[in-house]
Amino acid sequence: MSLNVFICGVGGQGLVLLTRVIGDACANSGKKIVTGEMYGLSQRSGAVSVHMRIGDDVFSPLIPIGQADIMIALEAMESLRYIEYLKKDGIILMNNRIMHPPIETSKIIDSKNKLEYFSLDQVITRLKKWTSNIAIVDALKLARESGNVRTENTVFLGCLSALKIFPVEEKYVKQSITDAVPKKTVDMNLKAFELGRKNAYDSLCTQVACREKT
Amino acid sequence: MVLKDVLTKEAKTAFMLGNEAIVRGALEADVKMVAFYPGAPTSEVLDTFSAALDEFDYQMEITSNEKVALEVCAGAAFSGVRSLTAMKSVGTNVASDILFVLGYTGVRGGLVIVMADDPHAHSSQSEEDGRFFAPNAYIPMLEPASPQEAKDMTKKAFEISERHRVPVIVRTVTRVNHQSGIVDLLEFNRKDFKKVKWNQLGEKYVTLGEVARQKKLKMLERTKALSEEFETSEFNLVAHADSDIGVITSSVSYLHVLEALKILGLQNKINILKLGTTYPLPKKLISNFIKKLKKVIVVEELSPYLEKEIYVLSKDINPNLTIFGKLSKTFSEAWEYNPDIVATGIALATGSKKPNYQTIILKAKELKNDLPDRYPTFCAGCPHRATFVALNQALKIQVSKGQNHYFANDIGCYSMWIYPPISHSDSSLCMGAGVGVANGLSHVIEERVVAISGDSTFFHAGIPALINAVHNGNKFTLFILDNSVTAMTGQQFNPSTEFIAGGRKGKKVLIENICKAIGVEFVEVVDSYDVKNNIEIFRRALDFDGLSVVISRRECALYGDRVKRRKGEPIVPFYVDKTLCKRPYVCLRTFYCPAYELDNDKQPMISRELCDGCSVCSKLCPLHSVKRVEVKK
Repeated sequence: MSLNVFICGVGGQGLVLLTRVIGDACANSGKKIVTGEMYGLSQRSGAVSVHMRIGDDVFSPLIPIGQADIMIALEAMESLRYIEYLKKDGIILMNNRIMHPPIETSKIIDSKNKLEYFSLDQVITRLKKWTSNIAIVDALKLARESGNVRTENTVFLGCLSALKIFPVEEKYVKQSITDAVPKKTVDMNLKAFELGRKNAYDSLCTQVACREKT
Repeated sequence: MVLKDVLTKEAKTAFMLGNEAIVRGALEADVKMVAFYPGAPTSEVLDTFSAALDEFDYQMEITSNEKVALEVCAGAAFSGVRSLTAMKSVGTNVASDILFVLGYTGVRGGLVIVMADDPHAHSSQSEEDGRFFAPNAYIPMLEPASPQEAKDMTKKAFEISERHRVPVIVRTVTRVNHQSGIVDLLEFNRKDFKKVKWNQLGEKYVTLGEVARQKKLKMLERTKALSEEFETSEFNLVAHADSDIGVITSSVSYLHVLEALKILGLQNKINILKLGTTYPLPKKLISNFIKKLKKVIVVEELSPYLEKEIYVLSKDINPNLTIFGKLSKTFSEAWEYNPDIVATGIALATGSKKPNYQTIILKAKELKNDLPDRYPTFCAGCPHRATFVALNQALKIQVSKGQNHYFANDIGCYSMWIYPPISHSDSSLCMGAGVGVANGLSHVIEERVVAISGDSTFFHAGIPALINAVHNGNKFTLFILDNSVTAMTGQQFNPSTEFIAGGRKGKKVLIENICKAIGVEFVEVVDSYDVKNNIEIFRRALDFDGLSVVISRRECALYGDRVKRRKGEPIVPFYVDKTLCKRPYVCLRTFYCPAYELDNDKQPMISRELCDGCSVCSKLCPLHSVKRVEVKK
């Protein structure tokens, strides 16, 4: 058995930390994991992606096309950028947040406001042509609720750990969150994790198999 | 991982990045001297050593360039001290002068050079195949595929290096450096650092003329011995199958091969030779492997390095062998590989059914239609953006007066200027080449040459070119964008920072002092954020009938934010006052800041989460509608 998770977002959203937490949780619970991380230019605002593969019969650090079971998109538009990696009817955990790049804004101004931004509705309509298993998460709102706006990534960890196909037990994930984040933010991150988990139960678990609530 | 996994002296399993596994391997080998110039994809080797410095007693330097880094390590290794450096492919070009000499002189202590190629040019100016350095310099080379192998090979490389008195290259690619996986850590006990008495060693490291000629013969003997040794290396794996088809591969391609065979249903049905020692090659091992095969498929990224050797070997041992690789057009010399590319190639060579990726890709393409691109850009608060706003204004004024320009960009965050929506640069080449080509251009073109350099790039390779300009009386303008750190690779310290490796106190080298000392007559230092005043100063520099240097100084925003957070200082964002904004879009048109978006009324809006509070846009708004958010006390 193996699980492929494709994670994407924008530089600065904490994809690397998210990867770390899952990787450590795997190491601590005796699971094999390999990841391929792409964050070449270490600036904020560029596209960042991580191929994550858990299980005994995975080899390459890169997910073959059409084989990701889950896609986590910390920014909505980024989900489309890598959609070919997702299995038909795979699961998408997507932030409802769109961060419009400066080039998009400048094209709109140049068009004298005739053009419009690429919208969340457009993203969802298109994703539905690929899969119906989409959970849209207001991660920024949940992160704010947790007391730290920078915990969007942890919200998604919560969502992920609700899914039945995610093979790592919650306690290992929580432990590695505690180990990985700055001491002052541990409580806020654990709260963000719980909010994310609850969100998954409310919005996604009606469609896909989830772990039992604890 | 958490740093504690790299540091733990106990045996355990941990999740580690390839670069961290390299550090762990070196620590297990009791490395005592490390030196680096940062460069993707190796920068985390430097960062991890720097973060661990307080826990151990190795010596560490963040050097001004890769050549110096290798020389630092060579000096230590001459004295019998284990040393390690890591550099990106193009960094090896800079270090290659000393690299070739070390092939001749050899070393006493273990010297390991991690050399990371970047197939696909993810974060480099070229797709260079650094493997050819090894045969050219007669320096042995190991190639790991995974973080576990990266750790094991780094450790073993020290031993090989000392036994044969030669530096050893551990050659990686981006997908090994930035691959994470489960690594078995071994217990380690480190000896205390002690200075060496040079005179008691009786060592000598000279090579020239007749000495070099004699050393060349020794070098050939050494390579022969290494070749023998590598025939039985644990890093070369053979998997036999009941088949007359075989795959020969190395590095991360090996992992893609295993994945591809799974995709094609060919697991355990094809012979595999995975090479870990790729110079000198274990020729007997390869010959034995290909002896009885009908077909061999060579899977390696970039140039046909292994493939050509296999052609040579097959000529004697198996002349009827069909070789599938780059020469047969089964695989390309361009770009990095992945499981899909490798599966397609193996299917072609074996006559198996190809996976149908085309349908998926075409459908995906449909969904991506009109999806906005997301180019790398200057971060919110980046001082470079402010410098370029002023420079663009100054250039515009100059153009209206009849002065046109050639814009020589360079390597650093300011390279982003080549991407849309700005797309402005006549050249962007390699470290320090902006100043270099400005010399030649200033002789032969009518336009004024404007060259750009960062602080780190200036120290790395810009200084000799600037001295050349002074000495020859070349007329151009150099802008040095001094943001105090080597920002693009993760804000490492450099001579423009007051800190050195491990965050210890160092001496800051002032760029203006260098410029004045070498005789530049026009030297101005400005604050990058002071856009309005800078326009006039930049214009004067462009008008100056001679060589002019402007140093635009302000620390990197990401680095500055970290310092602020550590001190507990708030980052106070700005907002657009909707009642004042009449939508002239000056902020958006000139600034392209990622913190800006349009709201539903098509008015500019600043994201509180992204704004860095740099204030530059607020000073540019003609309607004064950009204001600082009030903080409750």
